[in-house]
Amino acid sequence: MIDAYFIHLLILIGIYLILAMSLQLSLGYSGLLNLGHIAFFGIGAYVSAILSLSGVPFLISILVAGIISGFFGWLLSLPTSRLKGDYLALTTLGFSFVVYAIFLNWVEITKGPFGLPGIPRPNIFGIDFSSNTFFLILVVIFVLISYFFIHRICNSQFGKALEATRDDELAAKSLGKHTLKLKSISLVVSAFFAGIAGCLFASYITFIDPSSFTFINLIPILLIVIIGGLASLRGTILATIIIVLLPEPLRFIGLPSSILGPIRQIVFALMLILIMYFKPRGFFGKVDLE
Amino acid sequence: MTNVFLQLLINGIIAGAIYALVASGFSLIYSTNKFVHFAHGGVIALSAYFLFWLFSKLGLNFYLSAPLTILFSSLLGYTLNKIFYRPLRAKKSSSSVLLVVSIALLILLESLVLLFFGADVKIINFIKNNQGVEFFGAIITPSQIAIILVSVILFFALFVFMKKSKIGKAMRAVADNRDVAEIVGISSEKIYSWSFIIGSAIAGCAAILISLEQNITPTMGTNLMIKGFTGAIIGSITNVPGAILGSFLLGIVENFGIWFMPSGYKDAIAFILLFIFLLFRPQGILGIKNNQK
Repeated sequence: MIDAYFIHLLILIGIYLILAMSLQLSLGYSGLLNLGHIAFFGIGAYVSAILSLSGVPFLISILVAGIISGFFGWLLSLPTSRLKGDYLALTTLGFSFVVYAIFLNWVEITKGPFGLPGIPRPNIFGIDFSSNTFFLILVVIFVLISYFFIHRICNSQFGKALEATRDDELAAKSLGKHTLKLKSISLVVSAFFAGIAGCLFASYITFIDPSSFTFINLIPILLIVIIGGLASLRGTILATIIIVLLPEPLRFIGLPSSILGPIRQIVFALMLILIMYFKPRGFFGKVDLE
Repeated sequence: MTNVFLQLLINGIIAGAIYALVASGFSLIYSTNKFVHFAHGGVIALSAYFLFWLFSKLGLNFYLSAPLTILFSSLLGYTLNKIFYRPLRAKKSSSSVLLVVSIALLILLESLVLLFFGADVKIINFIKNNQGVEFFGAIITPSQIAIILVSVILFFALFVFMKKSKIGKAMRAVADNRDVAEIVGISSEKIYSWSFIIGSAIAGCAAILISLEQNITPTMGTNLMIKGFTGAIIGSITNVPGAILGSFLLGIVENFGIWFMPSGYKDAIAFILLFIFLLFRPQGILGIKNNQK
């Protein structure tokens, strides 16, 4: 019983970790105040759920989920690549509202508010990952792959150019860096990994509906990236563990779920305000939120 | 055909009036403070619930509840500025930090509403809307007439206030150039406070008028904010008349969009309009081009 609960938490940490690392790439390393990230998570979840439900193998559907999310990241980057700060934040947020509206209203495909039940757990090359223990192994593998790639990207020449663009776009431009293209690529890669996390989420929970992909679900992810510190993957890992585990004790007090939900949100909101006031760089942050 | 056209136009104007109520308060605060006070939507939601509590729960007279709601919303806006934004400004935090804090405040206000009032929708049944008035073949309800009349009066009053009053002039001075305004003896902190008081009072009016026409829900603030912001960008975010104009345009375009698309896609239409403006005229219809954004 306790083992099962522990495994459940580890799986959640893994999925959130991929999502938070992908946001770290656009928010932390590229300095894009991207508030639409939850939409990419949702697109990945829906694409993979629809594919899996029509019998497409897991590895193909997770890849397609990532690619389609990435494609939407590219679409979003077209009008937003010149925007900064407030404008970018609210435009990306608006994007996530549109994606939500599509999940809710494209009933033929998404079943609207009823959601998609019965999403199969993965089965890769005859190995059945339907038990939680096996699923955890799968999540760990994907966390490692994502970490490897995101870490490599951030420390590559490309990553350095991104950071240069974030710190001083004009200077980066004058050194011949194509900054719009850099930011666009970073958003695509970020969206790709969010899509991967979405696919894992859908196949773990086995049921998705639009309510999992609203603005309010972005808050914990944003909190993770900010508490861990911008442009620090180490901080993100630590913060993910803290933020996923933090509200868990509330579960044992025995509050009804109608109270538990708002209290969780209040805790997150207050943490976000306090960290902005006392330690705006988070634990390991290297840069300020500009 | 003309009936449908007129009906959509009226619906568009009403939606536009609601968005303009949100956008005008929001852009008033933005113009002086220079950051996105996202919790403005939360102020509207909490004020609507305050009105519900006074009018439907305590059974207070509506004409007493309404001014109390406006008082409540302006106090709320003032307090948010004093407790949360002012210390951050004193620490020279960037506008992105203030934006993140304002998002956290929005979530905080929405969660408080959820905690105290629950997730179910509430109705303030002050004006009975079952009998619409026919207007050249289009139907318009009494509460919609009230929305249009009150908002037009309010916008006119706001316009006069900004042009003629001392505080209004000082606000425009701070919006234009804070440092120069400080040199001539205008305290910018004082003007920030005034913007929050007046902007949030408009939010209170918005809350009252919206709750006459629509159900109130805990998340109404976020949705209104997205629309208000879109309207403000289309018109010009730093210019209150522009924000009002843009909001009306948004309301009308959204409602005519229903001719081509199911009504669930209203948000998508708003967003496409926002994209078009961001690509081709980011400073908005009435905005003056500058290179900062």
